[in-house]
Amino acid sequence: MGIEGADLIRAAALMGAGIAMGLGAIGPGVGEGYAAGKACEAIGRNPQQAGLLTRTMLVGQAVSESTGIYSLVVALLLIFVV
Amino acid sequence: MGELTNIPQWTWEVAGYRLVFNSETLIMSWVVMGALIVFGVLSTRKLSFIPGTAQTLGEVMVTAFEGLVNDALDERNRKYFPLVISVFMFVWLSNILGIFPGLSEPTKDLNTTLGFGILGFIIAHYAGIRTKGFKKYALEYVQPMFFMAPLNIIGELSKVVSISFRLYGNIMGGFIIIMVVSDLVYSLVLPPFLNAFFGLFVGTIQAFVFTMLTLVYISVQTK
Repeated sequence: MGIEGADLIRAAALMGAGIAMGLGAIGPGVGEGYAAGKACEAIGRNPQQAGLLTRTMLVGQAVSESTGIYSLVVALLLIFVV
Repeated sequence: MGELTNIPQWTWEVAGYRLVFNSETLIMSWVVMGALIVFGVLSTRKLSFIPGTAQTLGEVMVTAFEGLVNDALDERNRKYFPLVISVFMFVWLSNILGIFPGLSEPTKDLNTTLGFGILGFIIAHYAGIRTKGFKKYALEYVQPMFFMAPLNIIGELSKVVSISFRLYGNIMGGFIIIMVVSDLVYSLVLPPFLNAFFGLFVGTIQAFVFTMLTLVYISVQTK
């Protein structure tokens, strides 16, 4: 059995999905960790505001997560649509 | 694993066009709407000074969001408070619906989240025009220079895309991870914990983020 053009397209799409997800997860990982670290520092300095800080941190992290979500959507499109 | 590519649909031929409805999304949205209507009736039917269970739940919801909305919106735009809390309740119930067996999340479908994103976008701009007047609203687009107008318009439109894709991607990603891992471990031990994390925790946070962003968009337009 030979490898045809359609197989190559499928293989390239799956590989592209893996690359998109792997590279796209770096940015949100670094960003969310940075936000969590800063929130830890702030809570250590000011423990009374822990509730407000945690809420703000979670909202900010969820917003900075969106680039990772875009790469997830791109990966899903590559796997299931191409 | 076949549930991902197999989307149940109703098709309806009308006047030469073929309308396609995602039946599962529609039915689950109706389930959520029905649950919210029942909750609304139960929590407001017999209002008393010493509240019952349903009234307590409703009061907790309202008081939890009252402070947030009062911080973000000024006196004239306090009327968007019911909208904001309704969006929260709908999105939250939609996100956690997947933990019940036999039900699935309506927010797993991009159509639902895109609908909510467009709703928030239109209401934010309507509120902006109502508060500032059309001239002042239109002048915001040529800040700081007139040739920045295309960038400002694209920036506004990308808010809709980002808010709806964020909710969709989180819920769909959680669903896929639950499905794949359940398949790998033959549905032993792990799925309840995954459901608790992706359904309850991520679902609650994403519903809160979606609501806060809608509120922030309204607040930015009306400032």
